[in-house]
Amino acid sequence: MSTYKKEVGTAVQNFAGDYTGAVQGQLWYNSTAGSFQFRSVTTTGSWATGGALNTARFRLGGVGIQTAALAFGGQTPANTAATESYDGSAWTEVNDLNTARSALGDAGTSTSALGFSGPPGSTPVQNESWNGTCWSEVADVNAFRGDPGGAGSDNTSALMFGGTVPTGPETSALTESWNGTSWTEVADLNIARGNQAGTGKLNTAALCVGGSGDPDGTEQWNGTCWTTLANINSGRVNLAAAGTYTSAIVFGGAEDIALTEVWNGTSWTEQGDLAQGGKNIGGAGADNTSGLAFGGQTAPGAAYGDTEEWTGAGSPVTETITTS
Amino acid sequence: MAKTYQYCVAENWGKGFINHDESFRITFKSFPGNVWQVPAYNKHANLWVAKVAGVVKTRDEAQAIVDAEVTAAQSAWDANNVEGETAEQKIERIGNRPADITLGE
Repeated sequence: MSTYKKEVGTAVQNFAGDYTGAVQGQLWYNSTAGSFQFRSVTTTGSWATGGALNTARFRLGGVGIQTAALAFGGQTPANTAATESYDGSAWTEVNDLNTARSALGDAGTSTSALGFSGPPGSTPVQNESWNGTCWSEVADVNAFRGDPGGAGSDNTSALMFGGTVPTGPETSALTESWNGTSWTEVADLNIARGNQAGTGKLNTAALCVGGSGDPDGTEQWNGTCWTTLANINSGRVNLAAAGTYTSAIVFGGAEDIALTEVWNGTSWTEQGDLAQGGKNIGGAGADNTSGLAFGGQTAPGAAYGDTEEWTGAGSPVTETITTS
Repeated sequence: MAKTYQYCVAENWGKGFINHDESFRITFKSFPGNVWQVPAYNKHANLWVAKVAGVVKTRDEAQAIVDAEVTAAQSAWDANNVEGETAEQKIERIGNRPADITLGE
């Protein structure tokens, strides 16, 4: 008869509680629970709660990664200039934007970021640069848009695309590139979009997803032009995104959407939902294995400050062997 | 008819309130008033409710909590006006009027 020791080479070990050092597939006896357990891994990504923003808000800017992120601006519902920094556990208030606003574009990291444009009808074209300590005004964008998509490495390299315009057509296909000094208009999106999601770590490599005009569309920027790629599974507006142009997640959207989809550079796959579905959420993250959702707006209209942390498939989990 | 969901009231304390293991196994949905919806007849959901010291509510009790929150939000929205502002400008400024929410059975 085959035994565990014969198959694996060691006897089943005894632990009082969860054996955190177990490798995938390893079996142990949990003497506290009185059951056999083994280490498995998640087959889809999932969201866990994180520390809440100090200022609940929606339509905010967000940059960085899960353990070092920056949230700025937004609506409470009044426009706010509040800026907060996340360390992987809690948000800390830092220096405010010079101009309170919402619906702004974003690019960069928690130590070097750019916040640009803003809501229709007020101080629309301002562009502010974050140096890790404070915001300073820099050259304005050429064409104002509300809720533009944003991508870029830091406060010297960014891309602004799409968004809503206060007059004329409701949405825009315009794209502008920031070189640290000024904005230059470059090739348009294939489809004009408003309230879309944008992400990317370079101004030569970005992703634009959904939004009014094409709620399930995906476009990828290669530094020269936009290319239409595979649609998301659930089209939506007012959604958020995090990651790079080849490895990203999109989440949330109007109304009260909790759905999360994962981009592998070719196609979208639906995975674990947010606990707090909402729209106009802030987003940050390295790629499709590590992201952050913060703030947002529920269908009743209220701003919230909840934070959720995304971890992609492959996280260790403990399974209990049951007999019946 | 068997219930699909169970409800509880619990305040989200942030890190650790819902961990990745729980999120992987359970579908959570949150509503105004700190109301949480999780699957009924589910071992992992029951363990999570116990972990967060959730106060279990029937669907009707949970609905009443949500209704009170939504009504308060609607009243606040109705009272938030700026002279001369159009309906579209108001929506742009503070968002749409809060909508009613109906919890699932």
